[in-house]
Order: sequence, then structure tokens, then C-alpha cells
Amino acid sequence: MWMIRAVLDNVFLRKRQSIKPAGQYWPIWFFHIDTGGCGGCGMELQALSYMPYDFHKEGFGFVTTPRAADILLVTGPVTHTMSPILEAVWEAMPKDQPSDFEEEEIRKPQFNFKGIITVGECAINGGIFSENYAVIGGLEGKVPIDITIRGCPPTPIDILNGLRTLFERK
Amino acid sequence: MNAVSLIRNAEPTQTPWRFRFDETRWCTLIHVLEKDPLLLMGLWCDGQDIHAVFLDEGQPIVATLALENGRYPALSPVREVASFDERIICDLYGVEVMGALDDRPLLDHNMWQVSMPMGRRLQFNENHKGLPHFYPSDQFFQGAELLEGWGPATGNMDPPFHVSVALRCGYILRAESQMGYTHRGLALRWCHSSIKEACRLSARVSAGVSVAHQVAFCMAVENAYGICVASDISLIRVALLELERIIHHLYKLAILAHLMGADLIAHRCMSLREDILEAQIPITGSRLLVDVCLPGTVTLSNVCRIGELCYKLYINIYEKIISLENTWRVYPGLMTRLMSLGSISREEVVQFGVEGPVARASGKEEDQRKMMPSYAGLWRYSSVQRQGTGNDRSLVLFNEVTESLRMLGMLADPLNTSSVIKDMGYWGEKGEGIAVVEGPWGPVLYWVQLSQGYVSHVFQRGPEKAIQLLFERSLQNHTMDKIPLLACSLGVNAAAFDL
Ligand code: SF4
Repeated sequence: MWMIRAVLDNVFLRKRQSIKPAGQYWPIWFFHIDTGGCGGCGMELQALSYMPYDFHKEGFGFVTTPRAADILLVTGPVTHTMSPILEAVWEAMPKDQPSDFEEEEIRKPQFNFKGIITVGECAINGGIFSENYAVIGGLEGKVPIDITIRGCPPTPIDILNGLRTLFERK
Repeated sequence: MNAVSLIRNAEPTQTPWRFRFDETRWCTLIHVLEKDPLLLMGLWCDGQDIHAVFLDEGQPIVATLALENGRYPALSPVREVASFDERIICDLYGVEVMGALDDRPLLDHNMWQVSMPMGRRLQFNENHKGLPHFYPSDQFFQGAELLEGWGPATGNMDPPFHVSVALRCGYILRAESQMGYTHRGLALRWCHSSIKEACRLSARVSAGVSVAHQVAFCMAVENAYGICVASDISLIRVALLELERIIHHLYKLAILAHLMGADLIAHRCMSLREDILEAQIPITGSRLLVDVCLPGTVTLSNVCRIGELCYKLYINIYEKIISLENTWRVYPGLMTRLMSLGSISREEVVQFGVEGPVARASGKEEDQRKMMPSYAGLWRYSSVQRQGTGNDRSLVLFNEVTESLRMLGMLADPLNTSSVIKDMGYWGEKGEGIAVVEGPWGPVLYWVQLSQGYVSHVFQRGPEKAIQLLFERSLQNHTMDKIPLLACSLGVNAAAFDL
């Protein structure tokens, strides 16, 4: 038994990567945070995980902890109460590139950055929920955004098309 | 004297459903409400007065009390659910409640730029640093071995809220939720907005129940200005309300199935939902039915084909829903496991003032649709179950979907001749109106005060407050991993709660 295990370990664990490579052969993991919206954008994101959309086959997936996420998906206008939580989630996400990356040959170069995608008008510029005593507004102009997907809410197809552009990035 | 006659015999106002109280009468009302089961829908403030709205046989009736030195006697000792409104009023206006059950802030966690933003004197805050704190109630820790928290950033797709739980032997002893993460200041945004703008805001209170909010808002405005809408508009609104109910219930059933590990069913629910959305977009112009109504009218992109849509959905979807429900019933272990999820008795439902499918699953047959004239001849019955378990709630949702489809089938003919509907414009100097419709999770109420085509005040109340209270209670004796399941099964909705 120990022999089999040693062989398996040798084959599979020797090259175990310190970060999960992403791209066409590996899923890109998203962590979703609603920062104070009506929930419509979240519903359209949710629809992506089910038929007839092929979210997972496209190479995407959702995670329930920011520590395992590559990309932060933000929906809704940022409220003052959610703002520090958004910050904490961002801090909890892994850094762009670990410096101790050893196994150079298994890195998939298509995708290796930590990023933010804003989904829906609210997350971009506050949409109908402009700045007031409780709302900061959208993230546009406040933090670097990698992709913006417009709409109130954007359709699942719009979101999918927006996410696909991730593969075009180096 | 019962509570209704006490209210109706108070000083009349310009509206036939609102009555002015003095403090003595208000205190008598509180006393009478100890024994009288009259349903309290909500409590709001307009800066000068405090208003309590009740539902008497489905009809709203309002008691108004002028604030004396910025204070009023609390209703929460006799209606626990009023506690949420009292705390919100205190957060927004700084109005003091005498004898309240709970005086902790509910929405304002010292994070807003301004405290008491709707009060007489604004108080600007220093920029708060760090995460919002949770302040538990005094009894929260009693008997607890461990404290845990869930939310607001869970990675799921729902609007955020936080639940703190006190655990003993791995089971939840007590749960308290912290709200306010999605508070967008809607009450203030509604003030002095144009009627169209206010309607757009109503459409975005909470996705999934958008039509219910739009229709209730429009009906309240029409009620304020005495507008009687054409019968075909009323019927189109009924079609939209039922369409939303179908789409909403299928979504909830899909999420519930997914959380229970029944992904096959989850996919079938979502796939059916997508078929419906696909069919309705060319006619309504909006996937989630946002911005489909305005006071006096409806604003569909192709209103002439609404009858055709109703017919198509009834013919194509009805049988599929029946077959889906059958699969749900025989799916290994699904119903059995749901039977142990959040069992809620009829007494609890009455105690917390819960309405809608959650109440109907516990044997309380109340449905606002039977009171609405536009449903005459369409509404037959509401599905009722007895045990109030997660399984009962799912079966009620299925039954409501089939009933809604049947109603769409009946609407196909009368709506086939719909002409192009024009925007009626608005008139009237001042007005005050109120309306209630049955949304997917229960009654949605709007009260509006209007002046010269603008909105002076809006108060909105749905089933969320009562459901949140019930959610906290029914978490007891469950494990932490059941939190999202129970939230889904009960229809917890932070966006509609926080406003
Ligand atoms: S963009 Fe529209 S759908 Fe999305 S959260 Fe904002 S209001 Fe809701």
C-alpha cells in the first residue's frame, strides 16, 4: 500500500503548484461581493452557474472564500457600511504572483493577476443609487478596475462575454 | 372595544383610512393590542407624526400620533416585529421610543457620514475606520459555549447581512442578525423625487420582487390622486405579478435544491426559468421585469402581445412544472431532509405577523390577492400546508407556480385585445394614498404623500421584517451550515429590509 502511495505522491504531489494556475485549462475563481445593491446583478450572476449557460465549462467558477479567489466580482453601489468589508475581502485575496513560485514550467501564462470586475451600473458608478449619507457610489475612479460590465442588470450573456475577455489578458 | 374600532373611532383625517390619535388613545391601543391579533404591517415617521399601519381583512388602516417632544410610546412590547421599525426610525430621525423592547441601532453602525439623516438637526460624523461592530443584546451570551458569525461577505449571490450565533454543543442557541449593509437611504431618496423617478427607485428596492413594488407604488399614487386605471391595465399588472411570482419561485426552488445537493433539480428549475425569461423579454423588455409600470399605465415594450405571452407560457410550461414537482417529490432524500428544516408553527407565524407563502406553509391562509378587485374571477385559492417545515414551504411554492400559470392561461383571452396604452400624466395638488399587493413572499405596502407631481414622503413595508425575526428564532437548534438554507427557505431579503 505504501508503495502505491509513494508512487502516486511522486507523480502528483512533486509538482504541486504553490498557486493554482488559471486559464483555459484551469478555472478562474471568482469571489462575489454585493456591496449594497438590489440583488438583481447577483441573480444574473447566479443564473450563470446553471443551465443553459456554460459558466464552468468556459473555465470559471465561484468560491465561497476570498482566500481561494483570483478575481473579485463586485455588484451594487458601495455603501459606507460595506466599504471596509470590501477592503478586508480584497486584502484576504492571494497576491498577484507569489515570489516563491518554483515550478515555472507548469505556470499557465494566460492569467496570473489579482483583479476586480464590476458588474452592473451600481458597482461602476452608483447607478440609480448615487452618493449620499450611506452610499459612497461606484468603484469607477476610486480603485483600478480590470473589467466593467454595464447594465442594470447586465444579462448573463453580457456577463459571460465580459468575463471571457479575461483570457485575452496576459 | 377591539383595536379596529378603537382606530376607526379616532379623529378622522382627509383620508378614510387614517385616523389621528392622542397619546392616551395610543396607549389604550397598545393595551388592546395585547389581546387583539390585528396584524401590524409597519411603523413609520415623517418627522412630525408617527404612523402605525395595520391590515384589517386585507385593508390598510393607519393610526397617527403627533410626536411629543420627539418621543412616542413603543408598540414593540405588544408587537415584537415593531422593534425593527422603532430602531430604524431612531436611526433615521433620532426619535426616542418610550418603553421599547430594544434600543440598539439597526441600520446605522456608526459608519454613515451623517447621523439621523432625516432628523431635524444633522450630525456629521468623522470618517469611521474599521469594520462595523456587532452589539449583541443582553441575553445573547446566556448559556453559550461558543460564538460564531456568518456574513456579510459569504460569496453567495444574495444581498449581505450578518448573523451572530451563540452555540451550545454545536447547535445554535440564539441568533441575532445585524442589518444595514445594503441601506441605500431610499426613504430620503424618495423625498422630493418626481413620480417617475420614485417609481424607478421602487423597481430597484429588491430584485425578484420588483413588480410587486412597482405595482404597489403605482396603486398608492393612483389612490392618492383618485385615478381609476383602465381594466386592461389592471389585468396586465396581474399578469406581470403572476409572471414575477413564477420566475421568483423557480429561482428560490433552484437555490434551495442546490443547497440540498439536488443539482439536477436546481438545473431543471433554472432552465425552466430561463425559458420563461426568454419568452417574456420581447414583450416586457426586461429580464427581471424592472421598469414595467408607471402610475396610470404599464410600460412594456410590446404590450399588444402580452395575451399571446400568457397563452404561450401556460401551454408550454404548465406540464413541465407538474413534472418538475413530481421529480422533486421522488428525488432521493430531498423531501425527508427538508422536513427537518425550520419547522414553524401557526402560532409563531401569528405571533410575528408573518404573511405570504411562509405563513401559508404553516397553515395560515391569508392572501392579499383575494382582496384585490383585479383578481376577481382569477384567484381560486392559496395552497396551504400544516407543518411549516422547509418541505411544506417548497410545496407551497410549487403550488403557487402552477396556480399562477393557470391564471396566466385565463388572462390570455382578455389581454389579447390590449391596445397601445398611453402615459396618463399626473395631476392634482396634493394627495395621500396607500396600497397593498401580494408579492412573491407576501404583502407589499406603499404609502405615498404627493404634492404637485412630486413625492413628499414614501413608506414601504413588505414581509421582510417579520421574516427576519422568524429566521432568527427558527435558527435555534440548527447547526451553522443550515443558515443559508433557512435564509433561502424563508425568503430572507436584506435589500428589501434595509432599503
Ligand atoms: S445595477 Fe441595477 S440590478 Fe444591479 S444592483 Fe444596481 S440597481 Fe440592482
